[in-house]
Amino acid sequence: MTDTKTLAYSNMYAVLGTLENLCELDNKAKEILSGLKKPVSVCFDVKHGPSATIKFTKSGCRMEDGVKDCDIYIPLSSCEKFNGVIDGTVTPVPLKGLTKIGFLLKTFTALTDRLSEVMQPSEEALKDRAFFELSTKLTFYTISVALSQIGNQDKIGQASASYMLDGDIAFCIKDGPAATIRVKDHHLVTIKEYPKKPRAIMQFDSLDLAYDLFNGKVNSLECIGKGTVEIRGMLSMVDNMNRILDRVALYLA
Amino acid sequence: MSKFPEYKHTKSHEYFDRAIKVIPSGIYGHLGPAEGLWVPVSKWPFYSEKAKGTYFWDVDGNKYIDYMCAYGPNVLGYNDPDVDAAAMKQMKLGNCTTSPSKVMVECAENLVNTVASADWAFFAKNGSDVTTLAVMTARAHTHKKKMFFLKGYYHGDFQWGQKIDYPGILPEEVANNVVVPWFDLQALEDAYNACDGDVAGLIAQPYDHGNFYDNRCASKEYWQAVRKFCDDHGMVLIFDDVRTGFRLDIAGSDHYYGIKADLICFCKALANGYNMSALCGGEHMKATVSGVTYTGSYWMSAIPFAASIACIDKMKKLDTPKMFREKGTKLTEGFKAAAKEHGFDLVVSGEPALFYLRIANDDSLMLHQEWISECVSRGLFLASHHNHFMNAAVTDEDIKKSIEIAEDAFSVVEKNHPELKG
Repeated sequence: MTDTKTLAYSNMYAVLGTLENLCELDNKAKEILSGLKKPVSVCFDVKHGPSATIKFTKSGCRMEDGVKDCDIYIPLSSCEKFNGVIDGTVTPVPLKGLTKIGFLLKTFTALTDRLSEVMQPSEEALKDRAFFELSTKLTFYTISVALSQIGNQDKIGQASASYMLDGDIAFCIKDGPAATIRVKDHHLVTIKEYPKKPRAIMQFDSLDLAYDLFNGKVNSLECIGKGTVEIRGMLSMVDNMNRILDRVALYLA
Repeated sequence: MSKFPEYKHTKSHEYFDRAIKVIPSGIYGHLGPAEGLWVPVSKWPFYSEKAKGTYFWDVDGNKYIDYMCAYGPNVLGYNDPDVDAAAMKQMKLGNCTTSPSKVMVECAENLVNTVASADWAFFAKNGSDVTTLAVMTARAHTHKKKMFFLKGYYHGDFQWGQKIDYPGILPEEVANNVVVPWFDLQALEDAYNACDGDVAGLIAQPYDHGNFYDNRCASKEYWQAVRKFCDDHGMVLIFDDVRTGFRLDIAGSDHYYGIKADLICFCKALANGYNMSALCGGEHMKATVSGVTYTGSYWMSAIPFAASIACIDKMKKLDTPKMFREKGTKLTEGFKAAAKEHGFDLVVSGEPALFYLRIANDDSLMLHQEWISECVSRGLFLASHHNHFMNAAVTDEDIKKSIEIAEDAFSVVEKNHPELKG
């Protein structure tokens, strides 16, 4: 079972939040942003749910938590409505920034369309190595952020988080993207970089293995036995993180 | 330069590659790599070839002094001649028969004569079988719903003993589990009141021998107070002696702490590796347990009963609890001294018979895992975040060699970490 609120938090920070990485890593996204004359910020404010502001510039975008000073303000009356925006069944209506509607209709839509293309790739598209790597890296970032949101919001995820000790977990792909899952008082925060002093480590041997794991093509326990998934340190943290990871697929499916 | 050459595990890996094709995760459960005790996996053996005394040999021919003892069952030494002779004798007479063998009666009598709180014995196969029976019996006896557990508990892998976030577990299956902290009687009282008294009992290990932290021994005063609390509130007190049983006290770990549990669960050390478990209890619980619908195809097979009688008799003769305390202390004092020599702070906790180790120089266990792996790959089989087990076949010579390997492994880790000198 999934719940709407947890899905909204995952959609906001994990899915929309991956726009940051898309704009950093993808040439097509960079090209879309290149036409931007002035920085534009878009705020999604979900009643009884998450709020975040994404600031776009020519060189990329950054998501900040909460309602910030923004050009376009999009209030959503419920988590369900926001989830509808993400799955394309609800059209967002800005309350502020109607003059910037062109950005929403053109640039923002082009970026989210590109994000969907990369995150939900066809088998054919994945034959291109560069596209495969991009898709897998973005999936990694989405999963690593969703992990914290599910640990904080989902009832069963919260149970897993309740057993976790304070400290940083390095969640990473060898020679690839890395994230810190920071645990403090059973609250999880994802930071998209390798921690300075990890208390536990979970590392996938390669992008290819990460792709296979994310897509259920290999068994993670077998990989631990083969050493292609390396776990080290305070393994109770990794163990509980794994239980949350099990639920990530439910929300991101 | 390391004095003990590192082992290679080529055949182990070949077997593992074969295994994952036909066995989920290659080796499932606590004996396998998925539990995370093997860090890094390259330093560990996967499969054994043979065992004798306190040693086992892996499929590559590497020999290990084994302080995990198959996670407890090896209490007298692998292939103990007296236990094996009793088992072989029974095998010739019969094992799994339509009418259970008379040796079942003798085995129950032996347990009743051994375990101080036992007036009867009910046999099964695994620890989970009897912890489950104990919980069912407590509920049947009191007609109450909730069960109390102590934090960090492990009472087997049946649904009721797992946690809400474990794969395949429904929230409803663990909805009546109430977890209270160790050594906190007020918390026990508060939890009882929060449940409006609808509490069937408390199931607990004799002391806090959880994983990933220093183990905490209990006191007689603590258990006597808990016993009184259960009596005052009509709760059944269940001792899960599956891991500790016969290693602290031949008469049961409740006896060790000066109390009588209502129900006590045994498994690991019960028959030196022959597969059986037992729930024992007081006369006042006998009628209730008789009424619980519970049995299994192999629960009355005779060979383990014969093995158990021989095993318990030999443990009594050797006074294994005293032996384990002495040898466990000697071994771990040696480990500590070796650690100190190389600048490591090795914390030894828990009972010496089931000692728990942790290098306290960092809080991530990474240094500790490194040291453990260097020990294992040189023939000293330890675990990185689980208690260990002593067995009666360990000699002074084995202890001496264990300390030498431990010291050698410390020297390797010290060399790998010049930054610690700073």
